[in-house]
Amino acid sequence: MATKNAEAHAAVSKKYEWGFATDIEQDFAPKGLSEDTVRYISAKKGEPEWMLDWRLKAFRLWQTMEAPDWSKLNVPPIDYQDAYYYAEPKAKATIKSLDDLDPEIRRTYEKLGIPIEEQKLLANVEGAEPPRRVAVDAVFDSVSVATTFRKELEAAGVIFRSISEAIREYPDLVRKWLGKVVPQRDNYFATLNSAVFSDGTFVYVPEGVRCPMELSTYFRINAENTGQFERTLIVADKGAYVSYLEGCTAPMRDENQLHAAVVELVALDDAEIKYSTVQNWYPGDENGVGGIYNFVTKRALCQGRNSKVSWTQVETGSAITWKYPSCVLAGDGSVGEFYSVAVTNNRQQADTGTKMIHLGKNTRSTIVSKGISAGRSDNTYRGLVRVGPTAENVRNFTQCDSLLLSDQCGAHTVPYIEVRNPSAQIEHEATTSKISEDQLFYAMSRGLDQEAAVALIVNGFAREVLKQLPMEFAVEAQKLLGISLEGSVG
Amino acid sequence: MLKIENLHAEIDGKPILKGLTLTVNAGEVHAIMGPNGAGKSTLGYVLGGRPGYEVTKGSISFDGEDLLEMEPHERAAAGVFLGFQYPVEIPGVSNVQFLRESLNAQRATRGEAPLSGAEFLKVARAQADALGLDQEMLKRPVNVGFSGGEKKRNEMVQMGIIDPKFAILDETDSGLDIDALRIVGDGINRIMRKADKAVLLITHYQRLLDYVRPDVVHVLADGRIVRTGGPELAHELEREGYGQVAA
Amino acid sequence: MSVLELPSVREEGWRWSDPEAIAAAAAMSWSDAPVDPADYFLDLPGARIVVRDGEVDQAASDLHRVTLGHVEAAEHALGRRTAGPGWVLELAEDAAAHPVQIVHVSTGGSNHFAGAIRLADDAAAQVVETYVGAGWANRGLSVTLGKAARLMRAVRLIQAGGFTSLREDATLGQGASLVTSFLGAGAAGTRIDATIVAGEGAFAEYGGALLSAGEQRQECAVAVRHAEPNGQSHQLWRAVAADRSTASLAARVEVARHAQKADGEQSLRGLLLKRTATVNLKPELEIFADDVKCAHGATVGELDARALFYMQSRGIPRARAQALLTRAFVADALDRIGSVVVREAFVADADAWLAAAL
Repeated sequence: MATKNAEAHAAVSKKYEWGFATDIEQDFAPKGLSEDTVRYISAKKGEPEWMLDWRLKAFRLWQTMEAPDWSKLNVPPIDYQDAYYYAEPKAKATIKSLDDLDPEIRRTYEKLGIPIEEQKLLANVEGAEPPRRVAVDAVFDSVSVATTFRKELEAAGVIFRSISEAIREYPDLVRKWLGKVVPQRDNYFATLNSAVFSDGTFVYVPEGVRCPMELSTYFRINAENTGQFERTLIVADKGAYVSYLEGCTAPMRDENQLHAAVVELVALDDAEIKYSTVQNWYPGDENGVGGIYNFVTKRALCQGRNSKVSWTQVETGSAITWKYPSCVLAGDGSVGEFYSVAVTNNRQQADTGTKMIHLGKNTRSTIVSKGISAGRSDNTYRGLVRVGPTAENVRNFTQCDSLLLSDQCGAHTVPYIEVRNPSAQIEHEATTSKISEDQLFYAMSRGLDQEAAVALIVNGFAREVLKQLPMEFAVEAQKLLGISLEGSVG
Repeated sequence: MLKIENLHAEIDGKPILKGLTLTVNAGEVHAIMGPNGAGKSTLGYVLGGRPGYEVTKGSISFDGEDLLEMEPHERAAAGVFLGFQYPVEIPGVSNVQFLRESLNAQRATRGEAPLSGAEFLKVARAQADALGLDQEMLKRPVNVGFSGGEKKRNEMVQMGIIDPKFAILDETDSGLDIDALRIVGDGINRIMRKADKAVLLITHYQRLLDYVRPDVVHVLADGRIVRTGGPELAHELEREGYGQVAA
Repeated sequence: MSVLELPSVREEGWRWSDPEAIAAAAAMSWSDAPVDPADYFLDLPGARIVVRDGEVDQAASDLHRVTLGHVEAAEHALGRRTAGPGWVLELAEDAAAHPVQIVHVSTGGSNHFAGAIRLADDAAAQVVETYVGAGWANRGLSVTLGKAARLMRAVRLIQAGGFTSLREDATLGQGASLVTSFLGAGAAGTRIDATIVAGEGAFAEYGGALLSAGEQRQECAVAVRHAEPNGQSHQLWRAVAADRSTASLAARVEVARHAQKADGEQSLRGLLLKRTATVNLKPELEIFADDVKCAHGATVGELDARALFYMQSRGIPRARAQALLTRAFVADALDRIGSVVVREAFVADADAWLAAAL
């Protein structure tokens, strides 16, 4: 299905190389959104009663809510009845081993360069240390199709499951934390997600355990007219450490597709979670036709003393991005970090940033945001640093830099700083610049063509953020920056 | 190697070069001297292909190829190196990364295999040592926070690594103390004084020519070469000043 | 919320506001000793105008070159109420007027009044305004500067109570220059709203110091829009919050699509003197041109404890040391006032505030 559409696009635009669609048989929930849709999804997943009740409560709440104020974004009205809320590859049933995976889906992930088989490793980098292993959870439209390295992780006590499995297998753990960081009523899309979330990832790292490998989830929207609503919950118990990577791609299609995920992170005493995203959903074509609406709620609760959460994101895809990975720094001495590179080209719109809510004493946060705008795109950093009255000795440093590559794009910086404790030290700096002709000519006179020169300078601009990524992702992200900006200068 | 004929060039519609003719053969070092505003730097930028420098008349051929038809990076790949009077700062991009990418881009254009990281580092370190540039400087962002002298030495390190056929060195001697001047001069001799290479030194002063002895000296004034002679011409200029010689 | 139809804090531009304070000010009656506006005129030649409860007190005023007439108001939640009779300073090409001083006295309740300053090409003017008394003083001002016209403004907000709200719209012609400095050092609530549209090569400086104590809330919401190329703007604001007060600074630089080479600079700094106080900052950039130089810096913190101790160890009482350091903190903002007489008066008001608050 829909392959013609994708092929037609592939012919006209070669720039989004992940734009192919996979032809497989799928089960869909009936189109549209009602309590029946919610019941259908819950029944499909074999969920316990409490989970269905939780979803229905969210759905009823959602019906009373209004779509958000769009800030700087220009969002056409979304018809929530004109979409599928659940699509499942038919062949799936229960996969006993990875060998049972539908070969078409396996090929899809191979094309994307994602190692579904355990013996395979992520493309290694020249000069890297001994190759590292990465456990992968692959989410294809609404369901998780493969989770690798399960046994080895289990031996370490780490639970790495699709959230559907976790609800069945670890109901107490899931129930304890689900919706605690992002409550059902948090915002329009989080509420919608709470009602219809289809799959996603659950991670629990027990006390004192350092997760033996990187965990990652690759999200792939394949089916047409389908929203993707995944839910991720990561709990790091006392003294635990986990690094989690997330990557996303989608086929090229004329219509817009909605992606409304919720990610909740919980870090207890002395725990650390590093969460990295390379978001490369289909951005639409150069005239702004098609592309993913990426409306995501990501929040971390640093509940424990000296806990730490670090968000790193490289945002190159999606027609519209609306996303503010945040940290509630409740535990004394907890640390929140946000490192972001957002690239917009053509007609893309990105409104992204973070909230650092300082509640505990001696809490610290660092925000580094690099916005790169090209074409006719708009790129906004929107952030909040709030210091509560009892939060003593808070430190925040924020650096927001914008790079403009065309005279038809926009770069905006909207930081809010709210401080209610005098012992806080808050510093915020922002700059706006363009690539200078001197820099371009200098790089070109050393042998780089214009696009390579732009990519080099842009990567330099974004370096502080890219160096936060695990090495495999950093290389991918660097290439992605170059590709996203092809043809944007000159 | 380089053949410039009746070159006219302007910036923003203002003529700067007004009929410059010059031939540089392999194995030669030419010095272009002249007063401020004569068009020396413009000549360097036109050879490098800097946007905004418009050639209105004349031709430049390099090894028989039409240089003016080439993009700046193609000129680099063809073997032309432009040493900048004011090397540009590129924040966040390390010297090592910049040079390795530059070198490998040139090699790719020429159909040669890229150098591995280890091979490259070996070359880069050797060149940095030869020019007395601290190894640490290689890791720092390109020219960011470098002193004037360090920037110039860095240009020479780049030249050593890229190993071009033809180098245009624009006021490479400015901002250097006497020790640095000697090191840079030795560097130019070591890298470029070869039978199959050539150099065009653009300079205001004679002092660099004490270290890099030119075969031919030209005096550029008001966009034209007004005199050509041997090394002794540079000394004459130093003694008499441009007013006398160019008149 | 109220019959006054005040803005709601749910609106983005009013999130840190306290509309109830305006309602309370409007309902205020003033019973303390009467204020003599003459006490607030500075030793400068030129017009001296007393605006009492929103009307010009002609007997107490020397209008000089200022005229009275109808003034339109901007479409703004508070500002639109000021349309009607107002004061007008209109200068012909190349004219230079003596300074204009206006003292606004409120004696309770609400009053609305507008002003207009229209300077033709190359004209120059200086305007100093002072707000005293209590109640809700609501003002609108429209400024139009011709080619290379120059306007220096200084505004002191030292009402003993109530609320002062200002809505200002300025349009700067080619190469025109507007410098406006505010000092909020009274006990009233404050809201300064302004939009400055800078033309080709225009220069706009808009800033000041808001010193807040008690339960006071003072805030500004200012936007400088570079509509044409080569403009330059500086927004330098200092907020000091003591007791349970809140000082909020929202400043925006906008650069239109073709306004290349615009240079917009913002410096917003907040100082918290008590642990119950609040400072909010929003340094905002909205850039649509690629060849611009726009940067901002924002900081919030308290006085440097080491400096305080050092001064105390040299014999300076703690409160005085705090006052000296706080004064240094706001000095940047007041230094922008060009006229020595005006600057000294503003600094004296700031000192009086510091002596009382610390």
